[in-house]
Amino acid sequence: MKMQRVFPAFFALGLTGLGGLAPLVQAGELTVSITNIRTDKGNLMVSVVNNDAGWNNQEKPVAVAKVAATGKDSVLHFDLPAGSYAVQVMHDENDNGKLDTNFMGIPAEGYGFSNNPRVMRKAHFSEAKFDISDAASSIVIELR
Amino acid sequence: MSSLTRRELMALLGGTLASGASRGLLAQPPQDAWLLGWKTFGRESVGPTVATLEGRWPGSLSGTLYRNGPGWFDRAGVRYQHWFDGDGLMQGWRIGDGTVTHSARMICTYKFLQEQRSGKFELPAAGTLVENARSIRNNDDVNTANTAVVRLGKRVFALWEGGSAIEIDPDSLQTLGPVTWRDDLLAAPFSAHPLLERDGTAWNFGSLAFFRGTGLIIWRIGPDGRLAQFQLLDSPEPGYMHAFAMTARHLVFMLMPFSLRTVDGAFFERMKFEPHKPCRVALVPKDALDAPRWFECDFATAYHFGDAFERGDEVIMRVIRHRDVEEARSPMSSAMRGQRGDDTAGSDLASLHLNLKTGAAHWRMHPIEGVEFPTYDERSTGPARLFAPCTVGRAEAPYFNGVASIDAERDRVRRWRYGARILAEEHRFVPKPGSSRAGEGWLLGTLLDYEHERTGLALLDAERVEDGPIATAWVPYTTPLGFHGWFAAA
Repeated sequence: MKMQRVFPAFFALGLTGLGGLAPLVQAGELTVSITNIRTDKGNLMVSVVNNDAGWNNQEKPVAVAKVAATGKDSVLHFDLPAGSYAVQVMHDENDNGKLDTNFMGIPAEGYGFSNNPRVMRKAHFSEAKFDISDAASSIVIELR
Repeated sequence: MSSLTRRELMALLGGTLASGASRGLLAQPPQDAWLLGWKTFGRESVGPTVATLEGRWPGSLSGTLYRNGPGWFDRAGVRYQHWFDGDGLMQGWRIGDGTVTHSARMICTYKFLQEQRSGKFELPAAGTLVENARSIRNNDDVNTANTAVVRLGKRVFALWEGGSAIEIDPDSLQTLGPVTWRDDLLAAPFSAHPLLERDGTAWNFGSLAFFRGTGLIIWRIGPDGRLAQFQLLDSPEPGYMHAFAMTARHLVFMLMPFSLRTVDGAFFERMKFEPHKPCRVALVPKDALDAPRWFECDFATAYHFGDAFERGDEVIMRVIRHRDVEEARSPMSSAMRGQRGDDTAGSDLASLHLNLKTGAAHWRMHPIEGVEFPTYDERSTGPARLFAPCTVGRAEAPYFNGVASIDAERDRVRRWRYGARILAEEHRFVPKPGSSRAGEGWLLGTLLDYEHERTGLALLDAERVEDGPIATAWVPYTTPLGFHGWFAAA
């Protein structure tokens, strides 16, 4: 069966791991609140990028974080210069370093994107992008 | 008019089988009282309730009739538009030791729990566009488990068609959770109408049409309740399919061509059958799941199939065809809107013939209309008698009020009429203990007596349906109509 034809990259999220970071000048604080954490197993892996290449794993993210999943919500802080960013979160419940999917590529673990776009696929950078100034700012990402 | 039995007379006078039915003629229920069949259950559970018995319940009949169907349609002033959207309500009629008890419990899916907490519909539904719905992780987030129920081995599962089977505790009806047959098959669709071999092996399918794909999954679950085989079967184009049929040697899958309109909306709102295209029918050998033989037949819309068998060069399967394509997309939609429609008359019994020699397929229409939810004795090796709710004589509600026993070989039908104000649901065939002859058994059918606001269970001799119930059991409250049941012998 030609699964590529059947499922045209529908759920191929390819969420970023925790590799090295792109160089960054520290500045304003971004608070990321992550909600709807369904289980306290494993870790939340958060990746912040500032362009389309970073979103698609072709460049290193500008910031990453890995925190244990405890409670229904989690709050993280990043120091970032003014600019456009997008954030993706993966709940690595079994701590194997990747977002588990079924044979169709449909996610078995939690994930979320900045702006919480209502799409049944990996959001595009343009859908998850938001701007921050030098002042403190905050976003809420609801895990699905 | 032929002479009436006492039971028929009682039913005509009072619209009920109850003793003391003399309150009948003058006390009219409100005109829309039958909408109780589509009313939100509104609580998490009821029962076990000891039922009031009539007639003689055989001591040799012991077990549980499980029933499943949509049970919750309204939240925060919003009502679903599509019958298939309601959250699953599992019911259990426990029969034995001279008593019958009834229990009902909402199935605690992820969706139901989330919405019970928030008090509003907040996750997408299959047939109604939910405004500002939350994003979902996968299809099991919207799994309502509301369509059917099956016991495999000693395990009981609530079934939907777009996601996992949800395991239910056989005694308490409490929800145990979604079943993953194998790690990589998490949330893979496990449809609502598995078919069982005599040894307990179950066949089922999962449609990939819900995932913008083509083709289907074929499941084989062993008698031990574990995954025995998993096969992907591609199809020439997307096709919708709710159930399937099987012969001794083959599985038969009939895919109805459809497209999805490019507008915002739920699956069944966007779905558009394509009657100008043929249905594709896959005949799949049970011992070679990867070697289907494809047939094409004139378009038809059908949710449910009866028995299938092989005779000469042909495979023949019974099909309940819906006449109105739009009605088939959203059955009983007027009832969901709180209105009267004429939703049940538009179906016909048909046989689909697949010629193994020529590769051709053709339909034979039977002069039998207005039936649905067919069942039969699965021990049959040739043509089986079908049992199906039907409309007999006057019915005040636009729903079935009787049950038919159909000999499709001779186009002969025997019917029983429960009454003008009784809604009749699927009747399950139960073999009589110790019997080996196909057809020897009982029917267990559920009833909604909206006039007296009670829910019932009727037991009939499957070989004498026209005589009406041998026994009935009633509980003094109503539950919404369900779709399908399963009898699990004790």
